[in-house]
Amino acid sequence: MNGGEVFATGPIETKADRGWATAAFYGGLLVALAVLPLFFGSPYMMHILILCLIYIIAGESLRTVTISGQFPMAHAAFMGIGAYVAGLLSKWLGWHVWITIPAASLASTAIGVLIGFPFARLRALYYAMGSLFFGIGVMNIISAFGHYTGGYAGLMGIPPIFIGAKQPYYYLLLALTLLSTLALYRFEFSRIGINLKAIAQSHLVASSVGINEGFYRVFVLGFGSFFAGLAGACYAHYNMVISPTSFNFMATLWLMMYVLVGGIDSFAGPIVGTLILFLIPEIFRDLKYYSPYLSAAILLIIVYVMPKGIVSLPSLIENRHRAQKNKKASGVV
Amino acid sequence: MDQVIPAICNVLVLSSMYILAALGFAFLFNMLGILNFSHGAVYMIGGYVGYLLIVTFGVYKWLALPLATIAIAFLGVFFEKYCFRRFVGDFNGIVMICVAITVILQTTVNIMLGAKSLALPPFAEGILAFGPVSISHERIVTFAIGAFLLVLVIWFVNWTRWGMQMQAIAQNIEGASLQGININRISALASAVGCGLAAVAGCLMGAFKGLGPFMGDFMLVKTLMLVILAGLGSLTGIFLAGLVIGGLNAVLPLFMSGGSSEATAVTIVVVLLLIRPRGFFGHEA
Repeated sequence: MNGGEVFATGPIETKADRGWATAAFYGGLLVALAVLPLFFGSPYMMHILILCLIYIIAGESLRTVTISGQFPMAHAAFMGIGAYVAGLLSKWLGWHVWITIPAASLASTAIGVLIGFPFARLRALYYAMGSLFFGIGVMNIISAFGHYTGGYAGLMGIPPIFIGAKQPYYYLLLALTLLSTLALYRFEFSRIGINLKAIAQSHLVASSVGINEGFYRVFVLGFGSFFAGLAGACYAHYNMVISPTSFNFMATLWLMMYVLVGGIDSFAGPIVGTLILFLIPEIFRDLKYYSPYLSAAILLIIVYVMPKGIVSLPSLIENRHRAQKNKKASGVV
Repeated sequence: MDQVIPAICNVLVLSSMYILAALGFAFLFNMLGILNFSHGAVYMIGGYVGYLLIVTFGVYKWLALPLATIAIAFLGVFFEKYCFRRFVGDFNGIVMICVAITVILQTTVNIMLGAKSLALPPFAEGILAFGPVSISHERIVTFAIGAFLLVLVIWFVNWTRWGMQMQAIAQNIEGASLQGININRISALASAVGCGLAAVAGCLMGAFKGLGPFMGDFMLVKTLMLVILAGLGSLTGIFLAGLVIGGLNAVLPLFMSGGSSEATAVTIVVVLLLIRPRGFFGHEA
């Protein structure tokens, strides 16, 4: 009946085939994540893991926006909007944390939708650049109201969610990350996600079969910025200090790096990429000032050896293996 | 009147520096469609090479400027050959390689010279006074060098063989290569010229405003605004957009505080981009 179901049948069959294995894998992963604080319970390790979870939400939502074929470069700014809305509401109006986080996400969504309408005119590089300038402008506006937002020095004294220990933050963010990734996964393989992929392949063909390009692009930007705002609000309440430099365009570029290192074509990409780019520099913490070289080296290895990201590594090895086999076979004959 | 002439002077100085820094970015963007996000870092390293030559090695300052330019031009050839060429048409690859280059250059500067702000010695000292109006020689020299180089670039692009080949590649890359133009050589040349110009801008701005490892980020944003406002494939557009951006940056701080003037300038650029999604002077591509 509709185009969506034709595409959706493929993955559903394979899922049914290995349902048991998949369920066991995800169950084991969940248990492992839940008991992780028992083994790596030091506050520093917890801090790194919490930041990883926050950036996994942000990176995954960035990837979801890119399935429409446009690369938004304002995603850190949407995180910033969420962080500043949550921080300002809780600091100046004294709102409760459980209200400020949803309010911040909704504010980020609202701005995403509002900005989505005029930006639906822009495509490809010009969309990327327009959203980049939008992100810079938002951060400049936030800095300009220094009386309320603390300006370039940052907003200090945001009330925390939990006082003292870091374990509750870990469990809260683990739950939020699981819910967000589940929502984003369901979104990507829903009818809307398939329409968005059609728009990415050819916006002309997509509009000729009745897909409203503008509506879906605005929709996905709003949907993505909801989770970016959620990540930003959690960051604000966790860190208690936020400054515009955490959300400027270099932050957007790093958020893109988390997605691209993992692999933008795969849903697991941003998760893998964030873990790699956060944890590998932590393992070599003794390098101190030299540790940015390590991140740069990771980027160079990815871009020259596996341009599709780390997720593509197994298929890359398999292809090389097969090519060697073929070579050997042809050599014998 | 006391305010107007220094303001015009500021507009001219800032615009010429922005245009110098943006030209290298614009060459690669027009010819190969690459967004070179590491251009800000190249501009920064140009200033630091000038600083090393003048302050650390004690080279005469008017000799150090061309030496730094040539060194960064070779760096530009290296980047084009080993980094940008293989990622033409691959936005994700280009962003990754440019972030890697930026991180490497910034970290190197940070380790060698520290994150503190440094300043190149001024290229000219003294003040030129006309009655109530006074302009420092530094600004005049900066603008003079900038204007001379821009005229040189106009001559290079429009009247030399290599410049015309660059224009041909910008118009149609396949057609140009069918006419026997060596695309790789010309794009390496364009990258060298562009990086050299960015290095000159880095040295002059380093004497004018001081050096810092992250000064490139600011200039990269200005460069992007300038090139995107100008549109694809227009040199005149770059000059006019440079005057607009330089004018906004020089005039707005007279009326409002630092943060809000930046915000206003960016807002104006976003609105202009939404009015003309493909820039003001570019061709449709």
